[in-house]
Amino acid sequence: MWLLPALVCYALSAALFVFERLSGRSRASGYAAAILGAGAVFHALDLTSRGLQAGNIPVANFAQALSFLAWLTALAGLLMIVRLRLAVIGAFVAPAVTVALGAAALTTSSGRVVLPDPLRSVWLPIHVTLAILGYAMFVLAASVSIVYLAYESRLKSKRALGPASEGAPSLEKLDRINYHLLGWGFVMLSLAIVSGAIWADATWGHFWSWEPKESWSLVIWILYAGLLESRLTVGWRGRRAAALTIVLASVLVGSFVGVNLIFPGKHGGSFG
Amino acid sequence: MDQSLFIVGINHRSAPVALRERLAYPEDEIVAALDRLRESCPAVAEAALISTCNRVEVVGVAADAARAAGETLNFLAADRKVERSAFADAIYNFAGRDAARHLFRVGASLDSMVVGEPQILGQLKLSYAQASQARSVGLILHRAFHKAFSVAKRVRRGTLIGHGSASVSSAAVALAGQIFDTLKDKTVMLMGAGKMAELTARQLGALGIESLLITSRTLDRAVALARDLGGTAVPYDNYKPYLKMVDVLIGSVASTRPILGPEEFEPMLRERRYRPMFLIDMGVPRNFDERLNTLQNVYLYDIDDLGAMVQRSLGDREREAEKAEQIVELELESFVKWLAGLDLTPTIKDIRYSVERLRDEELVRARGWMAQLEPAERERVELLTRGLTNKLLHRILSGLKQRDDQALDSAFAAEVARRLLGAEFDAQDDLEDADDEDDNDPSLE
Repeated sequence: MWLLPALVCYALSAALFVFERLSGRSRASGYAAAILGAGAVFHALDLTSRGLQAGNIPVANFAQALSFLAWLTALAGLLMIVRLRLAVIGAFVAPAVTVALGAAALTTSSGRVVLPDPLRSVWLPIHVTLAILGYAMFVLAASVSIVYLAYESRLKSKRALGPASEGAPSLEKLDRINYHLLGWGFVMLSLAIVSGAIWADATWGHFWSWEPKESWSLVIWILYAGLLESRLTVGWRGRRAAALTIVLASVLVGSFVGVNLIFPGKHGGSFG
Repeated sequence: MDQSLFIVGINHRSAPVALRERLAYPEDEIVAALDRLRESCPAVAEAALISTCNRVEVVGVAADAARAAGETLNFLAADRKVERSAFADAIYNFAGRDAARHLFRVGASLDSMVVGEPQILGQLKLSYAQASQARSVGLILHRAFHKAFSVAKRVRRGTLIGHGSASVSSAAVALAGQIFDTLKDKTVMLMGAGKMAELTARQLGALGIESLLITSRTLDRAVALARDLGGTAVPYDNYKPYLKMVDVLIGSVASTRPILGPEEFEPMLRERRYRPMFLIDMGVPRNFDERLNTLQNVYLYDIDDLGAMVQRSLGDREREAEKAEQIVELELESFVKWLAGLDLTPTIKDIRYSVERLRDEELVRARGWMAQLEPAERERVELLTRGLTNKLLHRILSGLKQRDDQALDSAFAAEVARRLLGAEFDAQDDLEDADDEDDNDPSLE
C-alpha cells in the first residue's frame, strides 16, 4: 500500500528534475530532491512490510529484487545530490528509479510471497544487499558518465556554457565521482560473489555451480576489473572511461533482466 | 516642507578618468569629507558620498534640491581644489524620482561600465556605512539606500545580468572552472608575453594554483614576469619537457606557424596519463594547431572562441538589463509612494504631540477645582478629556491618511493641519523604524 505513494513521489521528482534541466533554472532541484527523499521513505515502508511478510529482506522474486535495487539507487543518488551538490544526476536517477519501481509494481504479485527454506539465512541479506548495492553504484556511475559526455561534448565543440551551466560540476569532478562509484561498486560486487560462494558451500556443499547468474556475474566482474585496470595503468579517464562505463552498465542491466527472466536458476526463483 | 532626494555626480560616461580621479576621494577620507560637506552646505539635510574608479556622486536629501545641488557643486570644487568650470559640463544632477531611479540603477549595476559587474553593490554598501558613521544619514537616505540594496538583490535573483563572462580573460577562467574542479593542484604555463595572456595567468594565479611556469623568447622578460607573478621562468629553447606537468597552457608567442601540434602532444599525453589539459591560444597567428582539440581530454580555445563567448554573454546581459530596468521602475514606484507617505510621519507625530500638550495644559489649569473632586470623579474627568482628544486626533489623522495616494494633496493637507494646530517640528525620527530588509547578505558583497 506504500508502493503507490512512493511511485507518485518518484515520478513527480523525475518530472521536476527533468524540467529543471530543460528550463535551465535551478530552483526546482531542492524540491525535486525533497520529493525523491519522501518517495524513498514510502518505498522503505513498502519494503519493510514485505520484508516482515517474508521473514527476511524482500528479494524472493525478480520484482522484489528490482524494487530493492531501485530503492538503493534512490538512496545513493539522493546522497550524491545532497552531499556532492550534484543536482544534475537527479534527472537520470529519478526517472530510472521511477521506471524500475513501476516495472516492479506491474509484475509484483499482491499475494503473500514466502521465501523457500534454503534461502532463509543470515547470508541472504548480506549477499543480496552487497550485490544490489554494487549494481546501484554501477547504474549511478553510468548516469554520471552520461552527464560527463554531454558536458565534454559541449566544451569540445565550444558551444560552451550558457547561463544554465554556471555552477554545474566540472569535468574533473564528474570523472572522479565516476571513478569512486566504479571502485566501490567493484568492491561490493566482489564481496557479493565471495559471500554467495561461502553461502552456497554451506547450503549445497559447493562454492560454484556455473549457473547463469554466476557466470554472468563473473563476466561482469572481469569487465569492471578491466575498466578499473585501464584507468590505473594506461590512464583511460575522461571520455573513454565514461563511454565504457555506460556500455558496461547496459551489459549489467541486460544480464540482470535477462538472467532473472529468461534463465532462472537458483537466483531466478527456482531453488533446486 | 517636502524633503526630496538629489544626486550630483560624474561617472565614466560623463567624464574621462583624468577628471574623475581629480574629484575622487580616498576611502579613508570620506567620513571627514561628509562632515565638511554638511558644514558648508546648509541646504543639505542628509548626504552620502560614493567614490569609485567609475563615479563620484553625492547622494543627498534637501528641501530645496536645486539649491542643495549648487552648494554641493561648490563644495566639491573647493574641497577637491578643482575649478568648477573644469567639471561643470560633466556633472549630472537628478532630483526626486529621477535621483531615486539613478541610485537604484547604480546599485543594480545597470549604470556600470561593464553592466552586471558585482563590485558596485559592495561599494554602495560601503558608502552607506561611511555616511552612517559621519551621522549624515537620516530617515530618507536610510530608506533609499536599503531600497537600492534590495532592488540590486531582486535584479541579481530575477535576471541573469551577472552571468557569463564579460572579458576574454574571465571567459578563460570560467572555462578552466568547467574543466577542473580545483586549480589548487594545477600547473599553469604561460608562453610568450601578450598582455591578455598575462592577465589570464594573473587571474588564474589569484584563484590559487600549484605552480606557474613562464617561458618567453627573451629570458629576461620571462624572469621579470616570473618575479612579478610569483612563478618560475623556463628557458624557451627547452620548455617542452615541462609540458607533461602542465594543466593549463596559455600561448601568446609571436610566431607565423603553430608552435605545438598533435605529433608532439600524443606521446606527452600518454606520459601524463591523459589528465585533462586546457589550452588557451591567445596568439595571432595562432600558437596551437587546431587539431589538438580532437585529442583525448584536451580542450583548445583560441582567441576567437573566447571572444565569441564574451560577445554572447554581453548580448545576454543587455537583454537581461531590460528586465532589470523594469524591476527598477517597479521598485521606484513603491519607494516614491513611501516617500509621499513619509511626509505624514513627522506631521502625525507633531499633531499628536500638540493635541496631547493642549490636554495636559488644560488639566494643569483645572488642577485647583479638580482637587476637590472624589478620586472616582477625577478619573472620570480625565477619561473624558482623553476620549475627546483621541476622537479629534483620529478624525484628523485618518483624514490625512485617506488621501495617501495623491502625494501633493496629502502633503499640503498635512501642512495645513499642522499649522492650524500650531504644531512645531521637533520629532526626531527613529532610524530603526525603517525596515532593514535584505541587509547584510554576504552572497552579494
